[in-house]
Amino acid sequence: MQQSIRNILNPSTDNCKKSAYVMFELAKGRMAQALLLMIVLTAIFAASRIASKRKLKTRGIPGIERLDKWIKQAADLNRPVFFTPGTGAVTTPDTLAALALLDHVAKRCAELSVRLIVANADFNVHQVTEDMVRNAYDKAGNGQLYSSDSVRYISGRQFAFAAGVMGLLRREKPALNIFVGDYQAEALEIAEAGRDEAIAQFGGTSNVDQLPFFMATCDHTLIGEELYTAQGYLTDDPHAISSLVGPDAGKIIAILLILAGALLASFGNQLISTFLKL
Amino acid sequence: MTRAELLLQVLIFSLGFFYALVYYVRVTEPVDLQAVSDQLFAYLTSMLTAAFAIGIINLTRIHWGNVKGRRPAWKYSLVLLVCMYGMAVASMIASPFAVDPQNVVIPASLVSLVDPIWEFLYYKVLVSVNATIFSLLAFFIASAAYRAFKARSLESSILLVAGLLVVIGQAPIADLIWPGFSSIRDWIMAYPNTAGQRGIIIGAALGILAFSVRRMIRYPWGR
Repeated sequence: MQQSIRNILNPSTDNCKKSAYVMFELAKGRMAQALLLMIVLTAIFAASRIASKRKLKTRGIPGIERLDKWIKQAADLNRPVFFTPGTGAVTTPDTLAALALLDHVAKRCAELSVRLIVANADFNVHQVTEDMVRNAYDKAGNGQLYSSDSVRYISGRQFAFAAGVMGLLRREKPALNIFVGDYQAEALEIAEAGRDEAIAQFGGTSNVDQLPFFMATCDHTLIGEELYTAQGYLTDDPHAISSLVGPDAGKIIAILLILAGALLASFGNQLISTFLKL
Repeated sequence: MTRAELLLQVLIFSLGFFYALVYYVRVTEPVDLQAVSDQLFAYLTSMLTAAFAIGIINLTRIHWGNVKGRRPAWKYSLVLLVCMYGMAVASMIASPFAVDPQNVVIPASLVSLVDPIWEFLYYKVLVSVNATIFSLLAFFIASAAYRAFKARSLESSILLVAGLLVVIGQAPIADLIWPGFSSIRDWIMAYPNTAGQRGIIIGAALGILAFSVRRMIRYPWGR
């Protein structure tokens, strides 16, 4: 043991090179990414701390503010609330953001004694949503409102899922249809069926190909980053507001880089683009 | 935070940091970290895939309950159960995913009997029904566009005009009417459309970054 430590401390011995040498290299083409990531993360943390200390007011997302009102309307009309967290796997960011929103929706529905129906396309997401909704109703003391039919697995196939959800919407006739998460082509079918049957519709995704369909059919749509920051608006934690400011700091860095790169490239200077390829 | 939550949070952070490190730094000795991360991911995939039984159990419980209780539309639930288990059994006997491709246990005569049934159910029924539901999109797009393209304000008027120009530009007859339609369509898709999409993608990526970091460290933002 002492010999091996001596070997490590003494760089002249061959044993040291074999035992203490760690082979590593920075991945090609990712150095600039890593540097930018560190800069953006620092900006996010700093902006969040400043925002919290100065108690900055942020612009509200109107749909988020109306979500509670729509759930109360569902309670008044004695109609259920329908929620689908998308067709993505449990590891995708959109699905995680949808589950964060479901946490809030389930709690509100449980408090107001509103029946919540959740339709899943992924069996792992199904496990999470089932647990989440059941806990929400138990904590609110309305465990009798939760039934095994409340959270359903429909199908892993895209259009089988769409057909199943369309059928559920037509049979259950919810007052509010919430569909946020990772969606592909089935989004429009769900949205159209929801528009026919539900009084209010609330959607959200970061898939830019599907956003136009959400905008055309929903009363309110969470666009891109709003999906990930929605939870910040919904919690009562004042510090959560500061998490809304962080991504804005990253956007400022991105805008400055784009402007600088475009300006330099216009004069034939490829400094920024070369740097980003490192 | 309880001890269990703290332990879970440390695990989440460690794994998240490990994957980020492996992405940016290639460590080959003394341990090939890339191989370790690939192996971990394979374990994760296996664990997630094993949960498919939960979905089947849930479907069976709900729809069998509908059939037993003769709830509304119980006949559709019966059709679902028959199709689900029928197709599962047929796939296990005779399909590219058959459990006994060497016919050690399942006799070849049974396989040759079930094989055309499976092919019919898959290629003539399942694929066709899939295409049918997909084709509903064409009608839904038309109805959504009819509702959305209304000149209520300046922005919606611009949307209407741009949408009209792109739709006309996409039609084969556009070039016969006026060759400029294709150029206008290409310009709209290449510049304003792409710029808007990229702005949303950049914003979403930053949102994902902040969201993921917050999940990894449960950082009390601002404190």
